[in-house]
Amino acid sequence: MKRLCLAAMILLSCRPAQAADAPSVRLDEAQRAFFADFCIECHGRETQEGKLRLDNIAFEIQTVEQADRWQKILNALNSGEMPPDDSAQPDRTRKTELLDTLSQTLARARKVIGDQGGLITLRRLNQREYKNTIRALLGVEIDVRDLPADGGIGTFDTVGASLFMSSDQIEQYLAIARRALDEHFHRTRAREPRSLSAREEAEVIGNKRMNSLYERTKQMHDNYVRWTTAVDEAAQRPENVAKIDQLKLDAQKLSGASASPRAAPLLYYHLWHQIAGAPSPEEFGFHDSQAALFEELQYRLHYTYYADYQQLPGRDRGAWLLFYQAYRETYVSAGESWPAGRYKLRLRVAANDAAPPFRRFIEVGQRGDDPSDFTVFSAHQVTGTLEQPQMIELSVDVGTRGKREFAVREKRPNSRKAEINIFADEVDRTGHGPVPAVWIDWFEIEGPQPEPYAASVSLIASTHDRRGAREVIERFARRAFRGATPSAEYLDRLVGLFETRRALGESFEDALKEPLSVVLASPSFLYLAEPSTAAGQRRLSSFELASRLSYLLWSGPPDNELLALAASDALHSPGVLAAQVDRMIADDRSREFASGFMHQWLGMDRLEFFQFDYRMHRQFDDSTKAAAREEVYRTVSYLLRENQSLTRLLKSDFVVVNAVLADYYGLDGVRGDEFRKVALPPGSPRGGLLGMAAILAMGSNGQYTSPVERGEWVLRKLLNDPPPPAPPNVPQLSRLDGKMLSVRERLKAHQEEPQCASCHRKIDPIGFGLENFDASGKWRTEDIYQLNPKTSKTWPVDAAASFYHGPSFANYFEFRDIIESNADAFAHCFTEALIEYALGRPYGFLDDELAANIIHRARANGFAMREFIHALVSSEAFCSK
Amino acid sequence: MPIGPRPKRAVFLGFGWGVTEKTWLPDAMVTGADYTLPPGLAPLARHQRDFTVVQNLTNKFANEAHWGSTFWLTGANRYAEPGQSFHNSVSVDQVIAGRLGTETRFASIQLSSPDGVANGHGPGLSMAWDPRGKPMAGLETPVLAYHRMFSDETMPLERRQAMLAQQRSVLDAVLTDARQVQRGLNKTDCDKLDEYFQGVRDIETRLAKDEQWLGVPKPKTSLAEPKPGLAGRDEIELMYDLIVAALATDTTRVITYRQPVVSLLASLGVKIAAHDMTHYTSDERLAASQRRDLAQSELLAGLLDKLKATKEPDGSSLLDHTVLAFGSNIRTVHYLDNCPTLLAGGGANLKLGHHVVLRHDTPLCNAWLTILHGLGIQADRHGDSTGIVAGLRA
Repeated sequence: MKRLCLAAMILLSCRPAQAADAPSVRLDEAQRAFFADFCIECHGRETQEGKLRLDNIAFEIQTVEQADRWQKILNALNSGEMPPDDSAQPDRTRKTELLDTLSQTLARARKVIGDQGGLITLRRLNQREYKNTIRALLGVEIDVRDLPADGGIGTFDTVGASLFMSSDQIEQYLAIARRALDEHFHRTRAREPRSLSAREEAEVIGNKRMNSLYERTKQMHDNYVRWTTAVDEAAQRPENVAKIDQLKLDAQKLSGASASPRAAPLLYYHLWHQIAGAPSPEEFGFHDSQAALFEELQYRLHYTYYADYQQLPGRDRGAWLLFYQAYRETYVSAGESWPAGRYKLRLRVAANDAAPPFRRFIEVGQRGDDPSDFTVFSAHQVTGTLEQPQMIELSVDVGTRGKREFAVREKRPNSRKAEINIFADEVDRTGHGPVPAVWIDWFEIEGPQPEPYAASVSLIASTHDRRGAREVIERFARRAFRGATPSAEYLDRLVGLFETRRALGESFEDALKEPLSVVLASPSFLYLAEPSTAAGQRRLSSFELASRLSYLLWSGPPDNELLALAASDALHSPGVLAAQVDRMIADDRSREFASGFMHQWLGMDRLEFFQFDYRMHRQFDDSTKAAAREEVYRTVSYLLRENQSLTRLLKSDFVVVNAVLADYYGLDGVRGDEFRKVALPPGSPRGGLLGMAAILAMGSNGQYTSPVERGEWVLRKLLNDPPPPAPPNVPQLSRLDGKMLSVRERLKAHQEEPQCASCHRKIDPIGFGLENFDASGKWRTEDIYQLNPKTSKTWPVDAAASFYHGPSFANYFEFRDIIESNADAFAHCFTEALIEYALGRPYGFLDDELAANIIHRARANGFAMREFIHALVSSEAFCSK
Repeated sequence: MPIGPRPKRAVFLGFGWGVTEKTWLPDAMVTGADYTLPPGLAPLARHQRDFTVVQNLTNKFANEAHWGSTFWLTGANRYAEPGQSFHNSVSVDQVIAGRLGTETRFASIQLSSPDGVANGHGPGLSMAWDPRGKPMAGLETPVLAYHRMFSDETMPLERRQAMLAQQRSVLDAVLTDARQVQRGLNKTDCDKLDEYFQGVRDIETRLAKDEQWLGVPKPKTSLAEPKPGLAGRDEIELMYDLIVAALATDTTRVITYRQPVVSLLASLGVKIAAHDMTHYTSDERLAASQRRDLAQSELLAGLLDKLKATKEPDGSSLLDHTVLAFGSNIRTVHYLDNCPTLLAGGGANLKLGHHVVLRHDTPLCNAWLTILHGLGIQADRHGDSTGIVAGLRA
């Protein structure tokens, strides 16, 4: 009841501010003195160098030209070009203040001048929406990577003005639609129930390979020992004794820079032919001395590893997957003749107690030529034992095209180099390779399973003639157009395409594919068209509202229930609308909102900008990174579903994690691959975005933390105090290059130059508050700086600092409390982003009132997550074009 | 048969994230032909007489410290349109394509790489922006580029003719729907939908070209079909080979390439993130930045070798008829002035073998205008140009 009243109030209070003037943006008058003191001598009434006059310049910035002029002034100050060296210089404080004010004012002016006045531009489906829409229509998964990327000028992929169309794109739509239809018809045909299966027994593949490697390595070593013994014996002969010392010196030269330390002692035997009477390596089964040395090196590196493997238990029934080469993966394939569809993969596995817990995970996916080509589908925790193995089951898609082989391996950094180095490090440390962590009994595939995504429209014709074709085409187009009616002329043309194909001798079904794929490349399908020729706003039609709603909460098309409500024109009723929002959030498809919105809002593409150093951050491999990313989405899904407070994203006594992340965070007792709510022990730094590995890792460069990235992110995303964009042409600080300094000492230099200090005095202290988290988000109390491979230094982490003109904090926990106490600022950040994402246009100054209303309603309900959505969806802005 | 004048070609190679200033830019005090190549350009020594390094070219509207390519060929003011937060205008390659592109199968070819933002290019899909300032899609892998330009048509001629007719019917159908959608739209939305109409028109142009080229098999190239999955150095090298093949076969006369940086670093074994490398505050970062410069210069030297080695029917080399620009809108770190610019080839009648230091903040578009004129395209202006650069003409 309460919600209804509020919704009504907001509708009243949120009339479009049509006559609203743009807010005035004006530089602080107090700064006039700065120009009077330092600039007008050359840029004043008397002289106007560079045609610039500053004594009477307007401080109000309203036009592009004014903004451009101020930009030039700001740039000249930032680059240090002005004031010139030979004239009076402002003191640091005054210059810092001016730069701070001017850059903030200019950023605001750019926003106001660029404001679209609440105009929502026609938009096409973005890649995510297109993929989801095809899935809903045809029940098939498509690959959208061939489509040109969406927009990318720092806005959401729902912002129409930033989504473009081109000839390439239209051609790709046609090609993708054609593949999707092929797949759809193929799957419909292959619908008769069948059960096909294949199983690989790991001991058959694994043991055979490991045994033969073991035998061969041993044999080659025996040969090598016999050969070198014979060479050594020859060397003892009197005629050789004199030159052996020289040969040993020569051998050292052979080594050069390329040979590894392991290989160096062997090199001497390359010179066997200079030793009278020494036998050739050929006599001992080697092609030449190069081959002999290679085999011996293999022995020295791997023999223990292979021999250890022989001692492992459970090899009669299964095999151990190795971390390092030889038996890294086991695999199973769907038969070439098997129909496309969903299949079950099953595997029976056990873990080794002696392996560290973070290694007791497997990855399932598809392999390439190299371990780095492995495409991971999912990671799974292994908790079974040899006595009681565990069964893991998952669903995979087998398409009409693409690979049919599936593989399983231990979870790991996705790189061959990492594998080699981690192996070598372990051998150096213990004399043995990494202990195998996962045992596998068998791996099987079975299916096809019933389709998980039913197509939402039937493409089966009642009669196989022109009339039947028209019927199917019309039914499909109506559904694809989400309520808009295809014109008769359009349908005629599509039927014409069908007939041409038919006349060329194609089957009824094949001939249908052409017009149907044209539907999926037509504007009524590709664009969310909302006609509005008349001036001013109009209420959306019910079908348009259904689409806005479904593309907001599901990034996909309206389902039957929404379309039925639209058809009966009931959707605009506040009660119905609110009930639909609740229903849609409860539906699994709302995860598309959580991931699509959060990923873009929080700038999480940064996680892919660099590789994490596997030596410094061994555990933060791709599967862990994926889980960390997922934590952000799942937490938001959870808060939405449970209607908990948005402020749980600032601080919380629980996390939403799976076993991979629980292990990463050191939380006990979490087993399994599904994400669930886990209560945190008292004093845990986790809970809320600031404690999430994904967020912290974004604020790094893959090796070290970046307090600047983190500080800027917190200002932008949590505190609603975005710093201006990084200015061009600011002289780079180089005074500290190559010095051994802590992060804090290094960043202190930012305070010396006004150009840096004007922003960094706000940014850097925030970054310091998060210094207890390393680059991959692990808790730490010490920081290390590696100047070069030989020199490094360690400092205790000091997370104490003060917000600029704000409170101080002694450590991370106090820092987090201060952030949490700024819930209103965070609610504003969230609401602004939500408005932009939902309406598909940049947040404009006209939206301030809408934002205030949304926040007001949410605050009255303890910032409950769903209140934000309800308030937005019921607003006039959302329901109007 | 007499050999007519050889066609002119233009190639623009853009790298995000700029260069290592102190080891890439020649000493500004020594200009003319007798300058010393700095270490970052040393791999190009054998071509020194065939290119010119130009200093002090700037896009005056550029303010985005991480956008190395968005405005490189356009010189546009991002904020020029009130009511929009982003604006761009036509890139110089597309101006050239409008003139040089009429006689070839493809008016222009856009080679690109994914993830423009991570690679320091900024927004855009390739280096090219169409006459209305919209981003043009690029071919993001050598495999895609190879197939677009050189894959054989296996279909018989009559079947292809039927296909073309059918494709026209497809376009007629989507246009019918487009016109229906268009009916109710306001001006902004009509402008947006116009991209769709333009897209269809572009396909029609391509179909007309296809028809014109129907009996003409795609040219043979000695280049083998690329293996998928190449990344970094190998990928760039292969794209360069494709550029040579495309020009040699006269498949197109205008090519842009938005080069990858992230994957180049990875292929060089550099572990530092691309953006961090540009802030070369430590020895390790500086070394990475310089290795990047060397690799890029080596690759370019290889491309110039091949353009020289490829002979035209009159015995001249492909490079003699090609103008090539190699650079970025980012100089180094966050500096956007004095954009690194290297111009090569005889296609646009430029003065080669020199180090030219212009007046500070000369519009970069003046260099593009000079190239346009050199190619015989008498444009009045391009972007924010104020005139041609006389000192760049031979």
